[in-house]
Amino acid sequence: MTHLLSCSSLTMRFGGLTALDSLDMEVGEGEILGLVGPNGSGKTTFFNVVTGIYRPDGGRVVFAGEDVTGMSAQDICRRGIARTFQRSRLCLDLTVLDNIMIGNHKNLNTGFVHNVLRRRAFRTDYEAGLERARALLRALNPLLAGRVHRPVSELNMIDRRRVEVCRALIGSPRLLFLDEPSAGMTHEETRRLMDEVLHMDMGGQPLTMVLIEHEMEVVRRVSTRCAVLNFGRKLCEGDYESVTADPQVREAYLGAEL
Amino acid sequence: MELFLQFCINGLMLGMMYALVAVGFTLFFGVLDVIVFSHGDTVMLASFTGLGMYRLLEFFHPGLGAGWVVFWVLAAAVAVVAVLGMLTARFIIMPLRGAPALNTLLATMMFGTALREAVRLFFPDGSNPKPFPRLLPDWSAQFGTLNLRFDNLVLFLTGALIIVLVHLLITRTKLGMAVRASAQDAEAAQLMGVNFRLIVLVTFALGSAAAAFAGVMNGLYYNEINFNLGLMLGAIGFSAAVIGGLGNIYGAICGGFIFAFLQTAGVAAMPFASAYKDVFAFGVVIVMMALRPTGLIAEQSSRRV
Amino acid sequence: MRRRSRDLVPPGPAGCILLALCLLGWSVLFLKAEEQSHILVYMITSGMMVLVAALSGLHAGISATVQDNELTWDICLILVMLALLLIFCDDHYTLFLLGTIMIYAVTVLGLNVQLGCAGVINFSAASFFGIGGYTAALLSGSGLPPLLALPLGGAAAALTGCVLLLPMLRTSGHYAALVTMAFALLFRVFLEVSEWFGGPQGLPVPPLNLFGTDFSKDAHFGNLDVSFYVKYDAVCLVLLCLVFSFVRRLERSWIGLAMDAVRSDETASACFGINIARWKIFAFTTGNLLAGVAGALYAMMLGYISPANFAFADSLLFLSILLLGGLGNSWGVIPATIFVVVVPEKFQVIQEYRYFIYSALVLFMIVFRPAGLLPRTSRHYFGRPA
Repeated sequence: MTHLLSCSSLTMRFGGLTALDSLDMEVGEGEILGLVGPNGSGKTTFFNVVTGIYRPDGGRVVFAGEDVTGMSAQDICRRGIARTFQRSRLCLDLTVLDNIMIGNHKNLNTGFVHNVLRRRAFRTDYEAGLERARALLRALNPLLAGRVHRPVSELNMIDRRRVEVCRALIGSPRLLFLDEPSAGMTHEETRRLMDEVLHMDMGGQPLTMVLIEHEMEVVRRVSTRCAVLNFGRKLCEGDYESVTADPQVREAYLGAEL
Repeated sequence: MELFLQFCINGLMLGMMYALVAVGFTLFFGVLDVIVFSHGDTVMLASFTGLGMYRLLEFFHPGLGAGWVVFWVLAAAVAVVAVLGMLTARFIIMPLRGAPALNTLLATMMFGTALREAVRLFFPDGSNPKPFPRLLPDWSAQFGTLNLRFDNLVLFLTGALIIVLVHLLITRTKLGMAVRASAQDAEAAQLMGVNFRLIVLVTFALGSAAAAFAGVMNGLYYNEINFNLGLMLGAIGFSAAVIGGLGNIYGAICGGFIFAFLQTAGVAAMPFASAYKDVFAFGVVIVMMALRPTGLIAEQSSRRV
Repeated sequence: MRRRSRDLVPPGPAGCILLALCLLGWSVLFLKAEEQSHILVYMITSGMMVLVAALSGLHAGISATVQDNELTWDICLILVMLALLLIFCDDHYTLFLLGTIMIYAVTVLGLNVQLGCAGVINFSAASFFGIGGYTAALLSGSGLPPLLALPLGGAAAALTGCVLLLPMLRTSGHYAALVTMAFALLFRVFLEVSEWFGGPQGLPVPPLNLFGTDFSKDAHFGNLDVSFYVKYDAVCLVLLCLVFSFVRRLERSWIGLAMDAVRSDETASACFGINIARWKIFAFTTGNLLAGVAGALYAMMLGYISPANFAFADSLLFLSILLLGGLGNSWGVIPATIFVVVVPEKFQVIQEYRYFIYSALVLFMIVFRPAGLLPRTSRHYFGRPA
């Protein structure tokens, strides 16, 4: 099986703290990997290292056969990795459309002539973009498609998450990182959102996803495989049942049994 | 050689003055993460308060002893400026907590402009440079051609004493611990029972008092004050604090002396172009920012305040 | 009640024309007034009208009409300006004021691209304005056509700005603020001590010359005297229209969007492939270019420049205008510039106190209404959607 993403002995230190400790992680094409682990176990750091926000202190990240270790976030994005953030990082004073189009930046023509001088050509371009954003929103929540010109600050939490997901998806990424989509939402809302994402039509291409999640119920329903992190190391991996049955995992979450 | 020593003395005097101003900048940044640009104009106001006090004393108590005059001049400057500092904190800085950093910077710039203009407009004949009285005895010692003035020595030692006192206050007292705790994490400090608002006010009073000394020192050293001196002193104090790494007292002191060194070195190295000394000093600041974007002692790793 | 006062403004182009006529009438009355007490009355009435409009909901009607008929409104405003030029065609002083307003507006629009769009702090707008002016002055002996001073002034300002790019890109927040602040102070001192630039006395600037018309001479049509400032104002108006439409188009494009993203959240922007350095450089250079062009035109209109015009206080003045008008809203720039330039000139009593009053005003603005007179609005690429 070819791996879309494979990381080997990835290490990241912050001062004296080792957030990732020679971590190996593979994600296969079409897989949905659930990444779980206690707080501070290095899940988000793993995302940040792979997406290029942090430069790792050691190890390699290979994405689609190419070594992307130490590349800038911007270059990694252009190679097809998109993400959402644990704490919503939408631009609140911008409209829904603007926020989604930011996600499509790598495909937009930002040439000076195109944008400022040839407004007619830009208009066609803009309308195509608007239609695409609307289509994505419609797939998640038809009501949201009608609010495409409203500022994001007017939306409630689940709709903001939806916008974030659309922002990550509009660039047609090959790999999607979802960082705790359930944060700040009820069980029911999370379930709805995840169903919507799973049933999203990505034009026939299988969507590969890595999902950080504390809600084990969500992980169980969504993921095809799970990996558990603790202290920056992989504790175990496998399907949901085998992972939850693992005594090491129970120990990491509940503490050592006396 | 004598010329070189003269430059050194000049540089040390300037450096002490700048360090006193920069300490204020860095204290405020440490506690509240803000740049209080009006701090330079606070220095200017201290000079003018001192001058005003001197004139009042001259009018009401013409025969007062020189020691008392110095005391009252300093006391007036410190009191007025410390109260002003607290008012700034209470009515400009605190309401803007949570606003973008730029807003606070701009607000304090505007406040500084208002202070500057107020002195220009409302101090008698404020738009012209004012002579500042020589309050210290003008003894001096002659070493060859080198002239070591007694009042300079006093000023330098007082400045050093104040910096040491501020440092001891911050590192050795319970109050200082509360200030440092607030600088590290305001919320956690509050949960531990630190009265954050009080600490902010105390910090501002403290920083401003140091600025008051700098102001009076400036007047005594140059024997002339000007409503406009706050802008340059503010910019220099800010530069010094930034060169040292914001939030770090040692950094601010080093920064002050580095800036003074740059100015005097500029004059010493290019006597034909001494007018360019500020151009040179600020140019070096810009280059330094390119090389060390967060100051010599980087902000993240340094212990704040 | 709110509903009804909102509907007082006719929605279509007629509303725009009505508004423009009101504006014209009011401006003529205000600019013609000489007596200080009259001017005070006008100012108080203007303030009351703005307040009433804001409280009664009338402003919503006005902004709806304006936003729905952008083209008509733009044309109306240009016509208002032309009418003012015609009415005051022999009044040097008023014409000079109008020219100053337009030139300042161009500079502040440039600043808006920097700070309002990309969030790039610039405390040296007046320095770049000055670089444009000094370029115009230094070109005097070169034999080049004076009109070339405008693009060359802009280019000189933009190129000088490049010196600051490296420290600016590497720093952020307060550290970045210091870079431009140090430059502003350095620039002013440099001008004062440099003999090449005329020292504190400054330099004379040759007048503009277009199609063989000398811009420094008054014209006469029959018994109608036309001040030479009319010509400058015409050029200013053309420049302002070009720059305004340029900035508006920039804001409502993918470029504006990218700059907005950089301003709001650099980390998230980088994760979506936005090249942060590129857009900061673009915004900074564009803003400086506009300031340089404006400065060159201002120097030619003034005929003489000295370092005193380009102090740090002037940079703060430009920033104040931007904040008063509303950071990120190009429309806010116009009323704010008019207010800042015209009020102290007309109301001479406060002339001496003007910096004091501005600084106090902007201070209150930042504390109590940080979004400015006309706050930033959502981006609508092609007009307000129905």
